[in-house]
Amino acid sequence: MAIEISKVIQDWVPRGSKIVDFGCGDGTLLKKLMDEKDVQGYGVEINDKKILSCIEKNVPVIKLDIDLGLHDFEFSNFDMSIMARSIQCLRNPNIALEKMLSLSKTCVVTLPNLGYWRCRINLAVGKMPVTPDLPSSWYETENIHLCTIRDFENLCEEQSITIKEKFFIGPKNKKGIMSSINPNFFATEGVYLLEKK
Amino acid sequence: MKIETNIFDFDEGILLENGIKLSSFKLMVETYGELNESKSNGVLLCHAFSGNHHAAGKNADGLVGWWDQLVGPDKAIDTNKFFVVCCNNLGGCSGSSGPTEINPLSDEIYGNNFPQVSVEDWVNSQKMLSDRLGISKWHFIVGGSLGGMQALQWAISYPDSVNRAGILAAAARSSTQNIAMNEVARESIRKDPNFCNGDYIKNNKRPKDGIKAARMLGHITYLSEKHMDLRFGRKYQEEGSKVSGNVDFEVENYLQYKGEKFSESFDANSYIIMTKAMDGYDIAADSKTLEENMANIKASLLIIGFNSDWLYPPARGKEIQIAAINQNIKSSYIVLDGEQGHDSFLFHSEKYSKAIKKFIES
Repeated sequence: MAIEISKVIQDWVPRGSKIVDFGCGDGTLLKKLMDEKDVQGYGVEINDKKILSCIEKNVPVIKLDIDLGLHDFEFSNFDMSIMARSIQCLRNPNIALEKMLSLSKTCVVTLPNLGYWRCRINLAVGKMPVTPDLPSSWYETENIHLCTIRDFENLCEEQSITIKEKFFIGPKNKKGIMSSINPNFFATEGVYLLEKK
Repeated sequence: MKIETNIFDFDEGILLENGIKLSSFKLMVETYGELNESKSNGVLLCHAFSGNHHAAGKNADGLVGWWDQLVGPDKAIDTNKFFVVCCNNLGGCSGSSGPTEINPLSDEIYGNNFPQVSVEDWVNSQKMLSDRLGISKWHFIVGGSLGGMQALQWAISYPDSVNRAGILAAAARSSTQNIAMNEVARESIRKDPNFCNGDYIKNNKRPKDGIKAARMLGHITYLSEKHMDLRFGRKYQEEGSKVSGNVDFEVENYLQYKGEKFSESFDANSYIIMTKAMDGYDIAADSKTLEENMANIKASLLIIGFNSDWLYPPARGKEIQIAAINQNIKSSYIVLDGEQGHDSFLFHSEKYSKAIKKFIES
């Protein structure tokens, strides 16, 4: 994860809170949050190699398929759930969002923006987008539910989810001026802090 | 690797969970490696139902310990770094107080008079052993199957004495199916004409056939269907190597051989006591839930399940993990494929050993 994004998330995480990171990867973000924000953190991951990296970092981790396992945390009372660049890989992103906000007070979602201008050019010439941020071909990508910034914000509106904070990242993980002025066209990634209305 | 085998006598006795008092008892204990000066590098291994104190290395009889693949110099549990302890549990038949030992009160062999013990009793007796060794806090307590239940119970009963606990191929309670399988095994022992209501030692008999049949059933439940297929398939046993005339298939020969070997070394009353202890274990047996009972845990937990294990399937471990999260306990849960079914916890595999090593050395 880009340094800027993890820093943004870090600012949003309440000190000493209980959080779950869905698709936590090698546990880098959680480790940082545990060290610097004193959180009680749990990672959820499916890849064994990444799970072992979490254990090495002393980051609690659970091997689980997020598509199947969100309901397991019904009574876990998390303050915050995080899903960084994973929601577009799920079978039902809308249901996942709903679930995340039922098992935690707030939730952080980051997602790649299919509305980014380079994606649009790809589509304009009749090809599925392949960009530095979305490098895989259509037949091997894990991103089965890509959307644009606008799509995502519309979904939040439809599901009565409040966008408390948002932050946009441009190419090369930089916070460019253009990506704040017109994120749906210039941002490669959106970072959201969400809450149930 | 420095190996020591010793008997520890506890003349103060122990009050068992069922109210019966053992006026004195002894534990057969094996240790590997050396305890550091601050006594902070202790690792306690809890054995499964038919295991014993001999966990690693070769003993005087040339037998390799039950967890030798994971315990030893530079292995997952590195005896160069840790002082590893394993004891034969109360009620066992490898030198600790149990049905085959002399009852100091009557000077006769306990036989079927040895009281039923429980997982909690084992943990309490292991705590007494810890005190004797001067280890006030174990760096790691770990076990597979019934041993995993002890590791979990340790974290619950003595929260200040456990730094980390490893719960492998285990559960917070025996399932109905577990109990059912054990009952078939026990029944085959009881119905052996040489069992004599458990009084076979006095009658100079051994219910070998019953133990053998029980163990053969057990072995089926420890392996996975796939593993059996891969290992034996439908291959016929070669004529010259058949252990009995009844054998056609390799798998039959394997079960016959394993059952026979086990029946020569394991005691029938111990079999019944150990399986009864396993069946009886249920963290939530009192009015409290699993979560409430786990509330005091201070240790970090590592829970590992194996996909090929149908005796204690991974979902049973996940149940403990979710309860741990709900109680804000630091806990990790991993599922590995583990081709050997329930027995997978006994064998080294790269990810398995790494997970344990990283967990205890992180």
